[in-house]
Amino acid sequence: MEDQIVRMTSRLVVPFIQVYGIYIIVHGHLSPGGGFSGGAIFGASLVLLALSFNLEAGMKQISHQTASVLESGSAIAFLLAGMAGVFFGGNYLANRAAGYPLGEAGALFSSGAVFVITLFLGIKVASTIATLFYNIIEGED
Amino acid sequence: MALSDHFPALIVALLLFSAFLTPPVYRWTPRFSAPLTTFCLSAAFLMAILLTAEVSRSGPLLYHMGGWPPPYGIELKVDPLRSYALLVILGVSLWIFVYALKDLSHELRIYVIGWYYTLFAILVASMAAIALTNDLFNLFVLMEICTIAACGIISIKEDRECLEASFKYLILSAMGTGCYLLGVAMLYMATGYLNFDLLNGALTEAFSLYPRNIFTAAALFIVAFGTKSALFPLHVWLPDAHASAPSPSSAMLSGLVIKVFAIALFLIFYQVFPREILNAVPLTEIVLWLAAAGVMFGSIYAMLQADLKMMLAYSSIGQIGFIFLGLGLDQELAITGGLYHVMVHAITKAMLFMSAGVIIYTTGVRKIKDLAGIGRALPITMLAFTVGSASMIGLPGTGGLISKWYLALGALEAGRPLFVLVILASSLLNAVYYMPIIISAFMHQGEFEYKVRPVPNMMKIPLIIGALAVIITGLLSRPVIVMLQEAVASML
Amino acid sequence: MEILQGIINNYYYMAAIILFVIGMHTMLTHANMIKKVIAMNIMDASVFLLFVAVGYRYGGQAPIIVEGADGVYANPLPGALILTGIVVAVSVTAYALSLIVKIYRFYGTCDYDEICELRSDE
Repeated sequence: MEDQIVRMTSRLVVPFIQVYGIYIIVHGHLSPGGGFSGGAIFGASLVLLALSFNLEAGMKQISHQTASVLESGSAIAFLLAGMAGVFFGGNYLANRAAGYPLGEAGALFSSGAVFVITLFLGIKVASTIATLFYNIIEGED
Repeated sequence: MALSDHFPALIVALLLFSAFLTPPVYRWTPRFSAPLTTFCLSAAFLMAILLTAEVSRSGPLLYHMGGWPPPYGIELKVDPLRSYALLVILGVSLWIFVYALKDLSHELRIYVIGWYYTLFAILVASMAAIALTNDLFNLFVLMEICTIAACGIISIKEDRECLEASFKYLILSAMGTGCYLLGVAMLYMATGYLNFDLLNGALTEAFSLYPRNIFTAAALFIVAFGTKSALFPLHVWLPDAHASAPSPSSAMLSGLVIKVFAIALFLIFYQVFPREILNAVPLTEIVLWLAAAGVMFGSIYAMLQADLKMMLAYSSIGQIGFIFLGLGLDQELAITGGLYHVMVHAITKAMLFMSAGVIIYTTGVRKIKDLAGIGRALPITMLAFTVGSASMIGLPGTGGLISKWYLALGALEAGRPLFVLVILASSLLNAVYYMPIIISAFMHQGEFEYKVRPVPNMMKIPLIIGALAVIITGLLSRPVIVMLQEAVASML
Repeated sequence: MEILQGIINNYYYMAAIILFVIGMHTMLTHANMIKKVIAMNIMDASVFLLFVAVGYRYGGQAPIIVEGADGVYANPLPGALILTGIVVAVSVTAYALSLIVKIYRFYGTCDYDEICELRSDE
């Protein structure tokens, strides 16, 4: 399917979707949203690219291999961020007790561990959606 | 705090860590991924042993994730019963994994084996967390993870039967989780809590205000966990799923996954619902009759099967009935017997599926009638199968006798001699379908008709360990029984 | 009459339960696998609705603390729980759909009855 309108629109829209996704991920502790919602939006932009152009165009942004490495990597990073609590005297996934700086309430960097965890969560969700889509599209490999 | 205080969280985190590390490791250096997962499973098992020792020394242990106490945070709890469940889950899965290392290479395509390790580790992590969690909603999430991972290790074989079976399993257990979540919503509406202990305190008062909500929730829980652990009329997904899966997956699913949900229902009944709710409606009575029906029908269906793995799968429906029978009789000795059966059946059925796996690996035979004379070709495998069958029937010297003995004692104590009859009848039926296999395997005149490959040591050793474990559960049951009895007595 | 009044007052609970039953019925009776997955989502959504309805308070605002705002907030906990629930539902749906894709490659149909016929023909 080669539709000029669809391609042009998605090319215009995709950067905005991606910036919006990152915004939602980063502001997860201040406003509704967070890792899952933002990651889903970001992942949807990759799916949109792959649908409106072809698989290669989507792959150019994040290849299948990169996506699956990111997927495992961000999950491991999440677990390690939780481990910081154990090493610095708090419980698993502890925030202040683990020595994460809390900052000023309402500011962007004001949530310590939550910010780190949301970021990894966002990467994880975005890459998972991309790999899921690639896997279903590619089929037998 | 000492590192050992963090073990409840670390067990789960370590298993998940190994799960997520496996795919990249398998991509670059495939030969490291199996030792990695084995190491993480063994480390988790070691932690569970230390945790059990700690709990038996100094009483129940609470762990607040992130340092947030309930009702805000998720609480993990280790009491004697949960540590027992944890030990069974981690020990049996480590043992199955060692067997799986060899078996998988001929049942799966080579590039999915890394993913199998991932799914296996996620499955074990979620089951361990189900045993540990003290929060209803957390339990919901873990149940779904467990279901997806369990479906994953069925459908990873990618032939028609496996795909259809796992789709059926997925849909029916999605129904189960839907019911469970609705039940949780009902309890949350009535009390505003999700933590087990806080709910237990608040439900007594809420029961006088909203009895209907709480009854509905209890009924929904029975449906939900009944579906997931294949309680009799809700078992339809089990035979296909367990019979078509690769043998290590069958061992895992029949051995552990269905039991975990039975334990979860048990925890909810005795740690969440106060006594007066259980007394006010015949909840346990319903479970009791369903379990008794399951015990009988599971055995009868198993007799009709021509396929070895199919027969073992139907036998699981009968055996899960025994565990629910303990819950249904609602009496100390019976519950102890039911809980002991969790361990006995986990070991026994896993071993039976393993020996079925060895038979398929070496000869390719799946039909029961083709097994005649196989005893001389595969002596150790069939000996292990014999020990397993003896435990299923409940012959002396095996774990099966101990659990059935306590169940029967409990039934007598509760004044329900009818259920002793059910237990005896089911043992007889078990003998009817297990014995002919053994007799024709060893006593058959004439040669075994199929070509036999040699059994690799990596498959033989787990089988021998399993046979020994079945005998040990039969002969040295005292410490475990005492521990379980104390744990049950403190909850009733 | 009293029961009727109770139903009218709690119409959102009733809506959730009706949706739940619709979902469950469709899931168990329809032969088409895609419809089964849709029904599964309807069923999950009904429970989510119920949960969120439990957390709402009349006149409540979104539970975000802003300078100078006061008054009642909706209970944020059900919202957080349901977000998790949605994540779970999404992953189950994705997995079910990928299974359907694989099954479709074998049989060329998504209908369970047709699959049963195809299998019995073999």
